[in-house]
Amino acid sequence: MSALRLISNRTSQQALSNSDYTWDYEYYEYGPVSFEGLKAHKYSIVIGFWVGLAVFVIFMFFVLTLLTKTGAPHQDNAEISDKRFHMNSFVADFGKPLESERVFSPQMAEESQSLFHFCINEVGHMNKEKESQKGPSLQSNTHFQEVPKSSGIFEEDLHCLTKFNIPNFVNTEQNSSLGEDDLLISEPPIIL
Amino acid sequence: ENISDFSLNITDCTQVVVPEEVFFTVAAAGILENLLILIAVVRNKNLHLPMYFFICSLAISDMLGSLYKTLENIFIILCKMGYLTRHGDFEKKLDDAMDSMFILSLLGSIFSLLAIAADRYITIFYALRYHNIMTLRRALVILAIIWAFCAGSSIAIALFSYEAATVIPFTILFPLMMFFILCLYVHMFLLARSHAKKIASLPSSTVHHRTNMKGAITLTIFLGVFLCCWAPFVLHILLARFCPHNPYCACYMSIFHVNGTLIMCNAIINPMIFAFRSPELRSTFKKMFYCSR
Repeated sequence: MSALRLISNRTSQQALSNSDYTWDYEYYEYGPVSFEGLKAHKYSIVIGFWVGLAVFVIFMFFVLTLLTKTGAPHQDNAEISDKRFHMNSFVADFGKPLESERVFSPQMAEESQSLFHFCINEVGHMNKEKESQKGPSLQSNTHFQEVPKSSGIFEEDLHCLTKFNIPNFVNTEQNSSLGEDDLLISEPPIIL
Repeated sequence: ENISDFSLNITDCTQVVVPEEVFFTVAAAGILENLLILIAVVRNKNLHLPMYFFICSLAISDMLGSLYKTLENIFIILCKMGYLTRHGDFEKKLDDAMDSMFILSLLGSIFSLLAIAADRYITIFYALRYHNIMTLRRALVILAIIWAFCAGSSIAIALFSYEAATVIPFTILFPLMMFFILCLYVHMFLLARSHAKKIASLPSSTVHHRTNMKGAITLTIFLGVFLCCWAPFVLHILLARFCPHNPYCACYMSIFHVNGTLIMCNAIINPMIFAFRSPELRSTFKKMFYCSR
């Protein structure tokens, strides 16, 4: 950016009277920068920066993997979700939306959960038939829409749920090693 | 002999030049890829959802970044060939406009990533109320506010770039946003992990620990890519402002073109880790390409 050149030119080359605004491939016409008497290697900032960045990313990765191995803080919801388990077709390596310790009003929870469950079951059956090799994916807008219209009274709710988006980053990569039965499955009811 | 001493000193840390072919190839690939995503989202009605609109916003800001670099290179080449004068007023205005386009791209990227992370967060933690909270209209309003703010700040920063005060907030914004996005994703990740543990405790399912590893890998890739592509440039701005005479800083600043190329690489990688993970988008692409044949 030549704006940056403007900065460096004004600070360093005030003695120069010629125009400090030129289009040039060399962005930085340095003033008297002396390279003598350097104690460390001249590219030490470059090397230090990239090493630091790599260390930080690896550290972040290890922290995240360590988190996968330590205990779960949500043990109290275990009984509630155990009762409702009968779904089995979503990938869950990340972000399964459906549980958190926040609980909204119970009656709304009940009917929403049952509706949602029904829809998920429909989708689950569809998925099993159709997408056996690639494994069901979460952002299954199309799957939702393929749910048969003969689902009767839940039709309008299904239409609502066609817009339901679950983050797409939970879907695994192409070389997904998750087969149908490997998936972390069973959507528990949504307890929000 | 002063000049020769000068040149001797300068050649100690010469500018690392990226070949123009590489530059233009990377830029063109970035622009094309992001344009494809925009076209796919516009054409497929199923993709008119807040999630995809945020991904489009990211695609637009990536495209702007690559476009900026391409235009700048073209102008420099034109200058070298003599079609444009070096000291003209028009060129100065053009340069300011392009600088503001670049800053717009950076700010747009950061805020789009933030919007995507927030959208995913709401999807996970407020799943049932999600499409009451995040309606299409609200998503568009949020995007309009983000882009208006980015446009205003970019023009302000480009106009007042000589002030010290503009560089500091610019470089503080970057780590702040990164940290916030990291917190959002880590919270989501913790939820997924506890969910996985719960499922693993059931007798009927088989769970692979690899799936949790994939979450960690995905998250690391998201943040790692953004950090590796943008942080070198942000550091460059800081060093240019605060220590332009220091030989170490000068050597860092000599790899400026490599940093610019990294930003364009980010424009190529971002669609792969955000947009192309969606099967709906992939199937739209397939349809587009098969129909055209």
